[in-house]
Amino acid sequence: MKRRIFIQGLAALGVVGSMPLPLSRAFAASPVSPISVNDLPALEGDLTLYLGRGEGGLYENVLKSIEKKNPKLNLSIRRGPTAALGNMIVAEAKAGVKRADLFWAVDSGAIGLITDAGLAKPLPGDLESQLQPQFRYPGWAPVTGRIRTLPYNTKRLTKEQIPDSIMAIADSDLSIGWAPAYASFQSFVTAMRILEGDDKTAKWLKKVQKRSKTYAGELGVVMAVERGEVDIGFANHYYTLRLKSGKPDANLDLAFTNQDAGCLVNASGVLSLTDNPNAMNFMRYLLSAEVQSYLAREAYEIPLIQGIEQPSGLPALSAISPPKVDLTQLADLRPTLDLMRSSGVL
Amino acid sequence: MKLALNTMKTFGLSLVLASAFITQPVLANGPIGEHVNHLKANLKDYSDDVEWMIAKVDALVTEYEKNGAKAVKSDDLIEYWESVKFHSAIETNYVPVYASIWQSIYGIKMAIDDKKPASEVRQHQQALDAALWQGLGAVKLAADFQQKGLLKAVKATASENMTQSATIDEIKHKLDRVVAKYAERLSDEATQIVHDTYLHLFEGVEGTLIEKDAKLVEVLEKDFNVTLPKAISDKKDVDQVRNVVIDMQEKLDRAKVLLEEAEKSRKDVF
Repeated sequence: MKRRIFIQGLAALGVVGSMPLPLSRAFAASPVSPISVNDLPALEGDLTLYLGRGEGGLYENVLKSIEKKNPKLNLSIRRGPTAALGNMIVAEAKAGVKRADLFWAVDSGAIGLITDAGLAKPLPGDLESQLQPQFRYPGWAPVTGRIRTLPYNTKRLTKEQIPDSIMAIADSDLSIGWAPAYASFQSFVTAMRILEGDDKTAKWLKKVQKRSKTYAGELGVVMAVERGEVDIGFANHYYTLRLKSGKPDANLDLAFTNQDAGCLVNASGVLSLTDNPNAMNFMRYLLSAEVQSYLAREAYEIPLIQGIEQPSGLPALSAISPPKVDLTQLADLRPTLDLMRSSGVL
Repeated sequence: MKLALNTMKTFGLSLVLASAFITQPVLANGPIGEHVNHLKANLKDYSDDVEWMIAKVDALVTEYEKNGAKAVKSDDLIEYWESVKFHSAIETNYVPVYASIWQSIYGIKMAIDDKKPASEVRQHQQALDAALWQGLGAVKLAADFQQKGLLKAVKATASENMTQSATIDEIKHKLDRVVAKYAERLSDEATQIVHDTYLHLFEGVEGTLIEKDAKLVEVLEKDFNVTLPKAISDKKDVDQVRNVVIDMQEKLDRAKVLLEEAEKSRKDVF
C-alpha cells in the first residue's frame, strides 16, 4: 500500500495516533514540534482552490512551491477578492454546484460565511491539534494571524504613557491616526461590538473621532505616526515591522492593549468544502513548518501553529493577551458599518 | 448606420499594449463588445469609423465657422464618438490616446460653447484628428499582437496570478484610465479609480516596497491620497492631471525595479 493512501485511510478512520514513528510524529494529536513538508504525503490528482487575493503575491509563492514539490498535483485556482469568493461559494452551493475543494481566505470574516452555511468539512484532529489552543475551530484552520496594535511615535511618547485599555484611549488626550474605511479597522470595531456592546462602541467611536486624523490605509496611519503627525495610530502589526525594516531609525514602536479588541488577533484561514482527500492534505502543507516560517519571515504574519518563531520585532503571542473572540463572528459587517455611519465615522 | 454603444463607455478595461499582454483581467461594468477580441477582422470597420468621425466633426466645425454657435449642437460631438465601434477598441487597447481623444472632443465643444474664434476650434480639431489616427495605429498594432497570440482575450473573471512587479504595470494603466475618465468629464469615476487602485493594488505592494525605500512609499501615498484626488477635485486642466499621473508613473517605474529585486532575492518556501 502506498504511503499516501495509507495515511488518507488512517486519517479518515481517526486512528493516526497509533501510527509508528516518524509518521506518528507528523500526525500526532499534540505535536511537540511543527511538521515538515518532508513528512507529508505527496499530493496527486485534481484539486480546485478558491484563493482570496492579498498578501502581495506571497501566497502565490507558497502555492508554486507546493505545486513544484507535488508534480502530479493538478491544481486549479480561482482568484478574487476574499468576500466575493465567499459569496460565490455560498451561491454555488445553493445552486447545487460544488466547484471548489478548498477556500483560502485572507480574513476570517469570509470564512464565517461558509461555516455559517454549513459548507465546511470538519477538521481532522491531527490538523486541529497543530494549532495553538485558542485558535482551534471545528470547520476551518487559521493559517496565519495579524494583531491589532497601537503604533506610537517614540519621540513624543513613552510606552508607559499609553493606556493599556482600548476603551481608555478614547478618554486620553492623545492625537490619533485611523483608517475607518479599512477592512481591518472594521473587523476591529466588530470585535469591540461583540466584546463591549453597541452603545459603548458608538460612544468610543464618537470620542475618538474628535481627536483623530483619517487616512486611507493603515500603512498611511503608521507613516503618519512616524512623521509625528499624530501620537498613536490603530493598525495591524505588520505595517510597523515593515516600516522599521526599511527605516531602522524610525521614530516608531508598538504598544498593545490588554484583553480587548485593541489587541484582537485576526487570521487568514483555510477550509475544505469537499471530501477530496487532497484538500485536507493541502491544508497540512499550509500549516507545515516551512510555510509557516516563510509567511512569518517574508510577510511578518504571526504563525498560529505551535513551535514556530514569531516575526522579528514582535513579542511572543503569549505575552500579549489578545481577547478570546470567535473570529467567524467578524463576518457580519453590516451592523458595524451601520454603527459607524450613524456615529458619523463613515 | 452606426449603432449606439453607450454602455461601452462604462466598462473598465485596459490592455497593456506596450508589453503585449494583460497583466490582470478587470471586471466589466457593462457588456463588452466581442469585436475587441477580433481586432484584425474589424480593422476596416475601425478605419471607417475614424474617417466617419473626422468627416462628421469637420462638417460640424465648418458649419460653426460659417453660421456660428446657434447653427450647431456641440453635444453631437460626444454622440459621434460614443456611437462608433472604434471607441471600445481604443479604450481597451491604448488608454492614453483614449484620454487625448476625449480631451480634444471637449476642447472643440468648449470652444464652440464659449463662441471662440473658428481658428481656435480648428486647433482642437487638428489635435482630435491626430489622436484618432494615432489610436487607429495603436489598434492595428494590437491586432497584430492578437493574431500572434500575444494579446490575451478580454475576460470578465480574474484567474491569473500577478506578481508584485506586474501589479505596478497594472497600477500604471489604471492611472492612465484616471486621465481618460477625467478627460471624459467623469470626475467621480476618475476619483473612484484612484481610490480603488490604491486600496486593491498599491496596498498589496507597498508593504514590500517600504522595506526597500520608505521615502518612495511616502511620496506615492501622498500622490494617491492627496495630490491626484485634489487635482481632480480642483478641476485642474486635463494636462495638469496627466502631469500628476506621469510623475506618479515615473515613481512607480522606480518601485518596479525595487520589487523585481525583492522578488529575485526572496528565498524559496522550501
